[in-house]
Amino acid sequence: MADDNATLGAAVADEPRKVTLSHVNTPPAETWNYLRANDITLTVPAISRKGDVYFALPQLFGRIECGMGDKVTEWVTSQAADATYVEVPRNTVRTEPVVVDVDADAGQVADTGVMIREGAEATVVVVAHGGGSEAATSAALTRIVCEKRTRLHLFEVLALPDAETHLESVGIVADDDATIEVRQYLLGGATQAVGLAADLAGDRARINLQTRYLGRGTDVLDINHVVRQRGENSRAHVDESGVLADAAHKSLRATIDLVHGAKGAKGDEAETVLVTGDDVVNKTMPVILCDEDDVQGNHGATIGSIGGEQLQYLRDRGLSEEEANDLFVRALFDDAVISSPTASARRAVLDRAAAVLGQEVALDLAEGLELECADTEGEA
Amino acid sequence: MSEQLLRVSGLSAGTEDNPILHDIDISVAAGETHVLMGPNGAGKSTLGHVIMGDPVYKVSSGRIEFAGQDLTDEGADKRSLAGIFLSYQAPVEVPGVPLYSFLRTITQKRPELKMTAKEFRKRVGEIADELDLSQSFLTRELNVGFSGGEKKKIEMLQLLLLRPKLAILDETDSGLDVDALSVVSRGIEAYRRTCDGALLMITHNTRILEKLTVDRTHVMVKGRLVAEGPASLIDDIDAHGFERFEREAEARGDAE
Repeated sequence: MADDNATLGAAVADEPRKVTLSHVNTPPAETWNYLRANDITLTVPAISRKGDVYFALPQLFGRIECGMGDKVTEWVTSQAADATYVEVPRNTVRTEPVVVDVDADAGQVADTGVMIREGAEATVVVVAHGGGSEAATSAALTRIVCEKRTRLHLFEVLALPDAETHLESVGIVADDDATIEVRQYLLGGATQAVGLAADLAGDRARINLQTRYLGRGTDVLDINHVVRQRGENSRAHVDESGVLADAAHKSLRATIDLVHGAKGAKGDEAETVLVTGDDVVNKTMPVILCDEDDVQGNHGATIGSIGGEQLQYLRDRGLSEEEANDLFVRALFDDAVISSPTASARRAVLDRAAAVLGQEVALDLAEGLELECADTEGEA
Repeated sequence: MSEQLLRVSGLSAGTEDNPILHDIDISVAAGETHVLMGPNGAGKSTLGHVIMGDPVYKVSSGRIEFAGQDLTDEGADKRSLAGIFLSYQAPVEVPGVPLYSFLRTITQKRPELKMTAKEFRKRVGEIADELDLSQSFLTRELNVGFSGGEKKKIEMLQLLLLRPKLAILDETDSGLDVDALSVVSRGIEAYRRTCDGALLMITHNTRILEKLTVDRTHVMVKGRLVAEGPASLIDDIDAHGFERFEREAEARGDAE
């Protein structure tokens, strides 16, 4: 079933049975187990789909490595009511974004495959949103094949209420000269588990991955990024930054794997995290794997409070240290709204902003960025 | 005589183990333009930062009064909200904060600038146009990857948006090409024209002063104010440099 509709369906989980998924979000190279940074274990609902007619994606998608691992892929395919396949014809620009809309309150699970044929361009938007106060678990599994000379813009926003859990697993394969731009905004939820694996199989394939996150209260964020650089002269730029407040718990694994034969490949990854809470747990595991001589790989992480010079600059403009910290949180939401390619994504961000920053700030944000919103409407 | 806005009296300050400023007295009245000149390393920028309340510098003696309030022990945020603005010689990059978020937040801190988000956007747009600054900058991270000229324009944008009572411009002309210098000069003129604010221009270059009506000129050498005079002192310095002031300071045995 090929679905050209912009909004794709998702399943509603309606039975309480639970299963435990262990070793989720595992990186290609693990560290000492006692550090408890190698993976996450998730308990998720398992409803019976026995007797349901299930449309499976083409077999090709089953071979794509996804960031959260096979167990999550299997679980999602067992829980989603259906899979949705979208194909973007060669040498076309799909102006209407492919939108995967996940109602987290209803515990929806989405399984989506996107095939971008040679020379085509497409935007894929995954929005997980909700407003309920009950614990619920939702998921989105998105697998994308980028043929030669394609351009993919992937925008993901997780804007969940404080009690909800979401699993966000992405797998991308990129052929020669494919260009991938990814923006992830993780704006809240009891547990946000996010994995993305990109296989730069083609020569000169490139990915620019930007992740912005907010952890507050007792939120758990678990992120696993894996970029396999197989193609010659491929490029990877991975940039994560976020704010951790209160007693938030974050684990980030970011791996760039420079595979044998990827001559001339360059990959860099960097994380900047602002820690404002006394009880925050922050684990970062940046890894460069290298099995080729003619490559460059860099990684770095900056963890702590606002830099002295930056803080002084902000104080010179009238902000106290606490207000400067708040500015970084507001900035995260501003950036998410500015970057949102669809009205539904913007709405989800603004709803979450209202919950985190207050209704007044959210309204100000919506009103002030109206021009950008109007400008980007329908452009994706 | 105009009302005194800034009064610095007997001010000595420096870092933990290095005294830099010695017994500084300087007063700036509302709406006046003062120029602080001096050779490299004289302590001009330090004075600007000490007036702004940079905690890197400790005040060992003296007072800083602004608009009738003693601000000597106040933090930089309080001084900013009282109406003092320091334009940085090298504005700081702040990754993770779009310019829009920054400008909106610092504007909202000032009740006298209360405006709706739409009005704010309009106002920022007008100022950006005046400074030949594309509004696309609003969505970029504050000063990150900006050229030197763009950073100075962002400083001018803040100056015109915040409308402070006193602007201390620390070598705003440094590192600018002719076009950028012209735009920045336009921003300073607009500040004088529309805000009637006072200016303390820190510079050792006289080009940026050409279009300004200067009320007083101060010369600093080795952390001391060694001369004060009318605008004509600038022409004298332009013609003869700081050599005589440095010689006189040496003869007096002024400390480094």
